[in-house]
Amino acid sequence: MRTGAPSYPVAGRVVVSAGPLTFVLRRRAAGMFLLLLALTAVAVVLSLGVGSTFVAPADVVRALAGDGPFTIVVQDLRLPRIVVALAVGTLLGLSGALLQAVSRNPLASPDVIGVSQGAGFAATVVMSTDLGAAWLGPFALLGGLTAATVVFTLSWRYGLAARRFVLCGIAVALATKALTEIFIVGADAIDGQRAQVWLAGSVAGTGYAEARILLIPLVVLLPVLLWAGRAMDTTALDDGVARGLGVRVTQRRLLLGVVGVILAALAISQAGAVDFVALAAAQLARRLVRAERPPLACSALAGALLTVVADLVARTAFAPVQLPVGVLTAVLGGPYLLWLLVRRTP
Amino acid sequence: MTDEHVPPSPTDGGESRAPVRLAARDLSVGYGNRLVIEGLDLELPAGAFTVIIGPNACGKSTLLRTMARLLAPRGGAALIDGVDLHAQPTRELARRLSVLPQSPVTPEGVTVADLVARGRQPYQRWFRQWGAEDSVAVERALALTGLADVRDQSVEALSGGQRQRVWIAMTLAQDTDALLLDEPTTYLDLAHQVEVLDLLRRLNRDGGRTVIAVLHDLNQACRYADHLVVMKDGRVVDQGAPDKVMSAECLAEVFGLGGVVVPCPVTGAPMVVPDAPA
Repeated sequence: MRTGAPSYPVAGRVVVSAGPLTFVLRRRAAGMFLLLLALTAVAVVLSLGVGSTFVAPADVVRALAGDGPFTIVVQDLRLPRIVVALAVGTLLGLSGALLQAVSRNPLASPDVIGVSQGAGFAATVVMSTDLGAAWLGPFALLGGLTAATVVFTLSWRYGLAARRFVLCGIAVALATKALTEIFIVGADAIDGQRAQVWLAGSVAGTGYAEARILLIPLVVLLPVLLWAGRAMDTTALDDGVARGLGVRVTQRRLLLGVVGVILAALAISQAGAVDFVALAAAQLARRLVRAERPPLACSALAGALLTVVADLVARTAFAPVQLPVGVLTAVLGGPYLLWLLVRRTP
Repeated sequence: MTDEHVPPSPTDGGESRAPVRLAARDLSVGYGNRLVIEGLDLELPAGAFTVIIGPNACGKSTLLRTMARLLAPRGGAALIDGVDLHAQPTRELARRLSVLPQSPVTPEGVTVADLVARGRQPYQRWFRQWGAEDSVAVERALALTGLADVRDQSVEALSGGQRQRVWIAMTLAQDTDALLLDEPTTYLDLAHQVEVLDLLRRLNRDGGRTVIAVLHDLNQACRYADHLVVMKDGRVVDQGAPDKVMSAECLAEVFGLGGVVVPCPVTGAPMVVPDAPA
């Protein structure tokens, strides 16, 4: 940080400069980012230690460094699944932040606007027909993206209208869900049950193959996400105000929304419809940072933290029975949503 | 009202401002399949405080929004210094012309300085998010609107008049030569209406900004405008200095209102007094 940098006129924010480059940083967002990072690290170490064999945190850290007797348990058996949980949570958190910012609606998230339901429908079709399991991921991805395309098209009216977006999403979500249920009822019992488990969302049995599918697009999209983190600043303003400030509102909103949908569809294609993470992570991060719109980086971390913790509880609470992580996030998400509504602070 | 007093500022930067000529040429604008304005020609005087008046649904807001490129024309063009403004990069235009739409929604929890600082958007890049000139412009906008003392307060917690001043301050931070406002006094009580209009007049007189506003109140329009544009059914019926334009005939023809127009006892500007109630 250079001392000659101009001060930012808003309390709680600083200008960081490096040569000719200047960036505005929210102190609180930076602090919360570090806090969430630390909490996520703690959750990962805990999750790596808990299971049929308990490994103490110190041994987990040693095992991660490739040292000690628990290397296989920690690195080979438990770590891959947790990496997937982290990646799924990160993608869902980012998606929730983007969709909520674009629609200016705290309820917007992939499970409310039809992405999850579209993916779920496609996955159910694959499972109840003779198509192989290899088609599950690609079909689910395609299903999620298709549902989102329908929602974008329906809500397009001289640009992406914020309020129509969520309403159209809810309608598409309900219709797709009904179709899925028709398929499940018609399928034979075992296929139907497999579909139900998939629909609940789970990272059980996943590993680095799935993690790669999630993390490579994340790296590819990183420049877009860096842009998005700042572009979201104008989404809280009225379209007219933003246009007056020289923002190309329609293009910006569309691009942010499309990125949000792609991230969610990817996550869901690998882990099933993990509910509420996207919605809760973005709102949690927004409240922690006290910003007028969800902060992107903190939402990503909040999503990762929520998913890892939910997976830990789902895996151990009723051991040896493992719950799908999506069941737990849904159980936590319902009351959380009610709490948000009741405790609406001015 | 001492707490809402706006101190005159010597640092308005008016000496560096150029008057802006806005014009419409054969302009048509509409919504859906309905044209609100059809083939309108108009030249607005550079450097003046222009007020557009007319009955509800006459197209005055539509005209203003088109001149601010918030609406795209169906035909013809809106011109800034002779150039089609819809063909210009929106960001570049945002450095010459700022606009305050009608009753903008305040983002939840945003502070005064935060909202005003957003006016610097057209000058910012991802890799150059804040510079010394941005700070200068924001401080000047806060000083001009008398908001420096409440800079860290939440905009939502302010009175309606103060809130409108915050939005005006945001457009001032944009540091433009022209300022367009769509009904900036709507929902304000009379004292706050006067406060906002006094501010706009000062921004025009001292700061050299070309100011164009849509107003509902005819007496205020006559009192503050250098140039009055009267619209009806998407057409410009008359325009010119208020004392040339406003008359009992205009009142009857354009607004369908009977009454007399007398000189205002304070300013001498035309004052509309409707007929006695039935």
